[in-house]
Amino acid sequence: MSVAWTSKLALAAGLAMLPATGWAQSVKISYLTHWSPETVALLEAAAKDYAKTNPDVSVTVRAVPFGDLLTTLRSQGGGADGPTIGGIYDLWLPELAHDKLVAPAPEAVAGEVKGAWPAGVVSAASVEGKLYGIPNEIDVYALNYNKALFEKAGIAAPPKTWDELKDAARKLTDKAAGQQGFGMINSWAAGVVHPFASLLVSNGGELVKDGKPALDSAQAGQTFQLYEDLIKSGASDPSMATADANTTGPFLDNFVSGKTGMIIMANWWESALKTGMGDKFSNIATAPIPVGPSGDKPHSISYSWMTVVNAKASEADQKAAWDFLAWLNSPKSGKNGASAMSDILMSMGILPSRTSDIEAHKDKLGSAFLSGYVSVLADARPFPVVRGGQEFSESLQQTLEALQYGQVSAKDAQTNAQTDAASILERAAK
Amino acid sequence: MTKAFQTSAGIMLAPAVTLIGIFVLLPMLLTIWLSFQDWSTQTPFSEASFVGLGNFREIFGPTSIGRDFKAALLNTAIYTGLSVILILPLSIAFGLMVYQRDVAGGTALRTVLFSTYMVPMIAVALVWSKLYSPSEGPLNQMLGLIGIGPQPWLSSPRSALVSIVFLNVWQQVGYFTVLAIAGLTQIPGSLYEAATLDGANRREQFRYITLPLMRRTLLFSAVIAIINAVQVFEPVALITQGGPVGSTNVLTYHIRRVGIERAQGGLGSAMAVMLMLSLIVVVCALFAFVNRKDSE
Repeated sequence: MSVAWTSKLALAAGLAMLPATGWAQSVKISYLTHWSPETVALLEAAAKDYAKTNPDVSVTVRAVPFGDLLTTLRSQGGGADGPTIGGIYDLWLPELAHDKLVAPAPEAVAGEVKGAWPAGVVSAASVEGKLYGIPNEIDVYALNYNKALFEKAGIAAPPKTWDELKDAARKLTDKAAGQQGFGMINSWAAGVVHPFASLLVSNGGELVKDGKPALDSAQAGQTFQLYEDLIKSGASDPSMATADANTTGPFLDNFVSGKTGMIIMANWWESALKTGMGDKFSNIATAPIPVGPSGDKPHSISYSWMTVVNAKASEADQKAAWDFLAWLNSPKSGKNGASAMSDILMSMGILPSRTSDIEAHKDKLGSAFLSGYVSVLADARPFPVVRGGQEFSESLQQTLEALQYGQVSAKDAQTNAQTDAASILERAAK
Repeated sequence: MTKAFQTSAGIMLAPAVTLIGIFVLLPMLLTIWLSFQDWSTQTPFSEASFVGLGNFREIFGPTSIGRDFKAALLNTAIYTGLSVILILPLSIAFGLMVYQRDVAGGTALRTVLFSTYMVPMIAVALVWSKLYSPSEGPLNQMLGLIGIGPQPWLSSPRSALVSIVFLNVWQQVGYFTVLAIAGLTQIPGSLYEAATLDGANRREQFRYITLPLMRRTLLFSAVIAIINAVQVFEPVALITQGGPVGSTNVLTYHIRRVGIERAQGGLGSAMAVMLMLSLIVVVCALFAFVNRKDSE
């Protein structure tokens, strides 16, 4: 066969294959998260499952420490080459949406989410009525306490009121043994602010009311005073409360090693407690947040996480990302009618937020540790999601830490917190 | 001839000057321009709006923005001052020890000292955060052996910044020791021989020969130590996140929080300009001080 004929045949074969190669064009999307390597491996396994029916889409997962997540999203999410999908904390959504870094969900996805998730969770994933993310986890705060230390101190039941909380904290404190009654957290905004906010709402107060800070209320004043009382009595030691960039550190070490009697924390730290405590994890129990003098019944703070899609990604990447997320969060991707996302979350002790996922995991959610969290969910108040929320949270963190270390009085802390919050939220709203 | 020389010099300098202009001067000018604008880092430069000295008024004002900035500036100044005060004398002391030619193992000691400088900061941060652990940290265990109670190290606003300074000194002192040794080698041995013949003891030789002739080396070391210390970021980001109570919130970390996390590009740029001006003033003052001493 001559060279000319060979060339013609090769050209014809190439042309014949063009449509097929066009259909098989692959889409590469990336998923940014702050999860641990073990959890990332579960997400990668789910992505492989998805690829079985969608061979043209490949998903890569990248993890950064929680402390770097927002910075990474802001610095890399502004371009088409940034992560296609990001897992975000609901507090960050208003500003990411305002800066057009995240894309609104397509109609079909929005319709599915609105029908399958509780209205409060959908609202936290929306800005001005437009849905931006598929919610996945919901976290709520409760009182964790060490039953062995309670028994040793002769305390029969977890505290139900603030007076009982102070009394139990005093009895649990043993300075000679390096043991504190009530553990606070510092050097991590959510770790400082969320437990305070849980006590505040359990005392009938609010952080933000109608878009304006409400830290000048009598209820807030009593909450600042509770902190000062716990610190001054020595029942809470701020030097045992430090957190690091991975939201672990001395505050966790002290609780798992039996040096802290009680602490207010979210359900997601179940896996950290199990890893740190081994068999002794059975000593840990969960109870509702003690009610303050102005409160009616136990309340706590809840917040949610969601997955969003990069608004600067190409149309094809965005389409593939939403399709993958819809599958990952649907009842057909996991086991026994649960979504694959909820299976991943439950491996960490995190509560899924989709209604069908709660039903599918009801056995595990009934465990001694998690059932205490599930029971307080109905009366939980969502952490206020407003523009400037992160700065507001960091500012309140500074004030509360100053109170923890005795640098300001409860009264001054309240005044400073309200003044700073008013200025921050007013500026952010402009 | 002169014109040809100037043309030739211009052509040879052009590549370097162009690169410096694009990668050094332009970003600096851009930062200065942005410091007078209200600008979100998530929007194009075209959306920046001129606010005059508004950003500078904010960062020195009474609100939380001003309070946090001033506290971060003070933390940076304390960190820098302590680092320089500790690093320079230690580097000379180690340099004098290692420089003794007749000391066995001098080269090995020099290598060990310099090796700390080569360890990546992520490894240093991991190790030191465990060394400082209040409950299981080896430092507190060693102090316990000599009857000193556990120290809070990174867990107290009073000691956290100093603890980060110790970490910095540990990592950097080897590098500055090498600089000190380089300075010591420049001092002619004949000066010491003459001083010995004149009856000067070791202390007098150090005071009247070594220190004065090391002045230029010390100036260079001080300037580099100041610049390194002002740019501290990694240990804060990796270990303390600026806490507790903002006690380790240094300016570079704070600018990252304001400029990137909160996307307040104008405010972040104003803070960066103030940091740059502070650095220029300190370094110029240091040069002026040494020059005055020289002319005396």
